[in-house]
Amino acid sequence: MPSAEIAVPRAAAPLLEARGLTKHFRVGGIFSRHTLHAVDQVDLAIHPREIVAIVGESGSGKSTVARLLAGVYRPTAGEIFHHGRALSQMRSRRAMLAYRGRVQMVFQDPYSSLNPVYPAARGIFRALKLHRKDLGRDARRQEVLRILESVGLTPSREFIRKYPHELSGGQRQRYGFAQALASRPETILADEPVSMLDVSIRLGVLNVMAELRRQEDVSFLYITHDIASARYIADRILVMYAGQVAESGLVEDVLAGPKHPYTQLLLSAVPDPRAELDVTAADKGEPPRVIDPGEGCRFRWRCPYRIEICDRVTPALSPVGPGQMAACHVAAGVAVGESSATAAPPASGR
Amino acid sequence: MAGEPRVEGSSVAHEATVLEVRHLGVEYLTGDAPVRAVDDVSLILRRGEFLGLVGESGCGKSTLCFAIARLLGDNAEITDGEILFSGKNLVHLREKQLRHLRWRELSVVMQSAMNALNPVMTVGAQLADAMRAHDKLPAREVRKRGSAVLELVGIDPIHLNSYPHQLSGGMRQRAMIAMALVFIPDLIIMDEPTSALDVVAQRSLMVQVKELQRELGFAVIFVTHDISLIARFSDRLAIMYAGEIVEMGGTRQVFEDPKHPYSRGLLGAFPSIRGPKEVLKGIPGSPPDLRHPPSGCRFHPRCQYVMDICPTAPPPAYTPRGNDLVRCYLYAGRGTPETDMEEAEDRERHALR
Repeated sequence: MPSAEIAVPRAAAPLLEARGLTKHFRVGGIFSRHTLHAVDQVDLAIHPREIVAIVGESGSGKSTVARLLAGVYRPTAGEIFHHGRALSQMRSRRAMLAYRGRVQMVFQDPYSSLNPVYPAARGIFRALKLHRKDLGRDARRQEVLRILESVGLTPSREFIRKYPHELSGGQRQRYGFAQALASRPETILADEPVSMLDVSIRLGVLNVMAELRRQEDVSFLYITHDIASARYIADRILVMYAGQVAESGLVEDVLAGPKHPYTQLLLSAVPDPRAELDVTAADKGEPPRVIDPGEGCRFRWRCPYRIEICDRVTPALSPVGPGQMAACHVAAGVAVGESSATAAPPASGR
Repeated sequence: MAGEPRVEGSSVAHEATVLEVRHLGVEYLTGDAPVRAVDDVSLILRRGEFLGLVGESGCGKSTLCFAIARLLGDNAEITDGEILFSGKNLVHLREKQLRHLRWRELSVVMQSAMNALNPVMTVGAQLADAMRAHDKLPAREVRKRGSAVLELVGIDPIHLNSYPHQLSGGMRQRAMIAMALVFIPDLIIMDEPTSALDVVAQRSLMVQVKELQRELGFAVIFVTHDISLIARFSDRLAIMYAGEIVEMGGTRQVFEDPKHPYSRGLLGAFPSIRGPKEVLKGIPGSPPDLRHPPSGCRFHPRCQYVMDICPTAPPPAYTPRGNDLVRCYLYAGRGTPETDMEEAEDRERHALR
């Protein structure tokens, strides 16, 4: 199976890998046969100290991928490997606890993820008690102070006592990262960690992530709908559409030369004060059909390059450049030189 | 669409100004001390103008809009200032008098408008409801105008018979805008109408609003926290911080040469999808708690150019060239004839170093 990270040279094996990851939900009444394809056949790998971004609009399945990796949902099909070990083979509670310690999650809404009746640092203490039983009382406190400092909550002696209502949104989200850090994870799955924050403090939290990668060797899966912030922080990017990966590659390559028409549309819609206004907005941003989608490209209803095969065959991810993959019949045709008579997505840089 | 729906009130001669807000102050009554959410805000909106009102959560931008539309809750009060709209001071109008203005001359598109539609009524019934509440129209005219406004916002009139759950988020948002358009008012206040939408839908909606505005000539106050969103759409920008407008000017002007340190920080806080990658800093600290606003200039605790004078007294509104207003001591002397220009420039150079 072709995986999204071929031409990227890398010494280490992936920390976390998913192959053919699929999650379907049954929707409707109890006799309903309708299936919502939240995630379909997603391959991804996160290597040590790597920041991988998943970008997509609401309903693209990006959060479901994070929840599958965190073990919140069981996949309908496909497998998740942690250091090469299949997650479905981990039967014991101990193994799962160890996995959850290594792969932590940070949630979107810092206003509802802290318990208002306890000091915000309580979660860090609890995580330490659960995952690092070797630490004594004093060592635990020292460790909490160290973690608070590593996420920029200084002076940590003050922040260790604070309650959630005394904190701003940016500070709350830093506690979210601190809590995740307590178990010394290799990977943090960050599900839209800055989208609820004010713009002037988003960068601070993004910079904390970059700093944690540098100082604590943490790798990240950064889930976002904001492609510019993905570029700011990530090494590689996966663009998801309707539960499938539409395009993947190094973030600079994908943004400079998007091959999938959806990536192109997404990039053209990003508000950019420095670019000229293009008022040809034919696409109204209607959400994709993910209930019983059937065969065929899921983007074809919105695609300006749709050809006959798109209605019949779901395109697989195939190489469209060094290290870059796209799930598009037209783009793939251009890449291997079968230039068809139909209009091809402009493959040049923007 | 043959001029339907007809522009209401267009026969009345209007001068260029649609709305003038003078020294408006709004306070929320809380347990202890009142919270001043809008403080000394003045602005002028011209006919057909698109004003972007930008600020972070809690800066008072929504409160300002609600005050203009006189939609504040019971716990809030307009303490001073005037709101002049179509020849009347809205501050002193009674509920009954306001009803004649609302929808017909001034309408509001609420934040999370997606959930503002009644789930058990069809879109057409809700449009009809709004029309009947404000005008006596024959049933056929109601129907006709309903389909006309839906067409205006790019929704097939077949959806007059649809329920909100049958529409996508973007379509619901468009339906809300259609509802605001039934009488083609002079002013539409839009409070973050796109914040729940994905980028593609967001952009499409912005383009639509801009086209409608050009076509029908209404003025817009567009509230958003995302300054980059309106860069290409607004004529003028007002940037709010902690209840005050700290900078106002032509959109191009503010983007190319932001004067207030907060505006600079805000514009520098957006990573770009083009150009070289660089480490961005954002603005240190967080917005103040308005129950205990900082003394003097409210931005001074986060400001990198802070001077001795900043914490002592709130800066007045300076008017450097090209801007309507900047509340920052860096511009003392610019546009205020009594202060020595050179001295101020020296001070700025000193501060910027």
